[in-house]
Amino acid sequence: MKKRLFSVFYMFLITLLFTSVVSAVKLLNEDRIERNEKLKLQKIILRVLDIPVKEKRTGRDLVQLFETRVKPIQVGDKTLYVGYKEDGKTIAGYAFPVGGPGFWGPIYGIVAVDPKATKIIGIAFYKHSETPGLGARIGEKWFTDQFKGLRLYPIEGGKKIFYLRPEGLGKNPNELDAITGATGTSRAVEAFLNQDLDYLLKKLWKSVKKS
Amino acid sequence: MPKTPSSIDIFKTGLWKDNPVLRQILGICSTLAVTNLMVNTLVMNAGLIFTLAMSCLTVSILRNYTPMRIRMMAQTLIIASYVIIVDIVIKAYLPDVSEALGPYVGLIITNCIVMGRCEAFAKNNPPWPSFVDGVAVGIGYALVLMAVAIVREPLGFGTLLGFRIMPEGFTPWTVMIMAPGAFFMLGIYVWIIRFYFPQTNQIRK
Repeated sequence: MKKRLFSVFYMFLITLLFTSVVSAVKLLNEDRIERNEKLKLQKIILRVLDIPVKEKRTGRDLVQLFETRVKPIQVGDKTLYVGYKEDGKTIAGYAFPVGGPGFWGPIYGIVAVDPKATKIIGIAFYKHSETPGLGARIGEKWFTDQFKGLRLYPIEGGKKIFYLRPEGLGKNPNELDAITGATGTSRAVEAFLNQDLDYLLKKLWKSVKKS
Repeated sequence: MPKTPSSIDIFKTGLWKDNPVLRQILGICSTLAVTNLMVNTLVMNAGLIFTLAMSCLTVSILRNYTPMRIRMMAQTLIIASYVIIVDIVIKAYLPDVSEALGPYVGLIITNCIVMGRCEAFAKNNPPWPSFVDGVAVGIGYALVLMAVAIVREPLGFGTLLGFRIMPEGFTPWTVMIMAPGAFFMLGIYVWIIRFYFPQTNQIRK
């Protein structure tokens, strides 16, 4: 009995010790990691907005480019990133975060639309935990590239802006290729992306008409 | 309890005679996954050597206090702590590499080499030899990974450490970028090593 109690006590003690050490290391590096993640997000927003980033850029260059060409504004509970052309005045497009439950865990992405919000100009999924080689292919170029030019229009009555169909079976322009072997992930993307697009576009269309 | 061998012997054994990848065919998962780029290989190697050496050291220091029946639990906790520390440091200082390595840094936790050394050596030996053993086995693993990467990166991408070394117009071998490329390379290495240096005494201790 005493031995068992000691085992429990011992395990409790070393768990406490090691988790404290790990937490301390995490705390010390938190700012840096956060900065890196912000930088990564900015890079992705620039990419989906089709703003060219120099190959040999440093972190500071990127932040500068981002600050001159992209202005974040708050729309509803989401942040909308307004991208400007090189002159700094003409709007190049709008980018906004999308996301929802994937097959294994949450998927986060960014979608960019043209200034009139009539078509998609770029999309990226930057954080997910889908299966490598299957669901994780949502990050690949062939998958994201097929969204480019997808026409956006107001939808009603349970219809969707776009559908993911088994590869090669799509007939209409709004039927894109799903990922073979990753039906769960494809369905999840179809569901949350349609929902987010619909929600944000309704807001965006309103403000585009106003201006 | 067997006598603890000298540091030099431990080093030789870990590096060559009991090389984890070539001789014991352990740690294959990461060998296949990270060796298509030299940079990733080097970071992975540093991560594994650190985790392995520190885990062995810690397990050895605690060896006389850890109750036998919960030793695995304790070892896993120790290994996992070091791996998370490595992961945090890479995320903070080498974000691009962290992205490329993806889940593989975290998977050092399940690398059989680490737990294997803790169980087979560190649990029964004093701290210093255990630490040396960790470093030696880690370097043994690292050398094999580098040997694989030094072939895969030039053939698969035409570069080494990001610098172009193949002539213009060289067609990259796509197979070398993917896991089968590592299988072929590793198979060839294991074959050569076993052919020229057959192992006489298969089981040590």
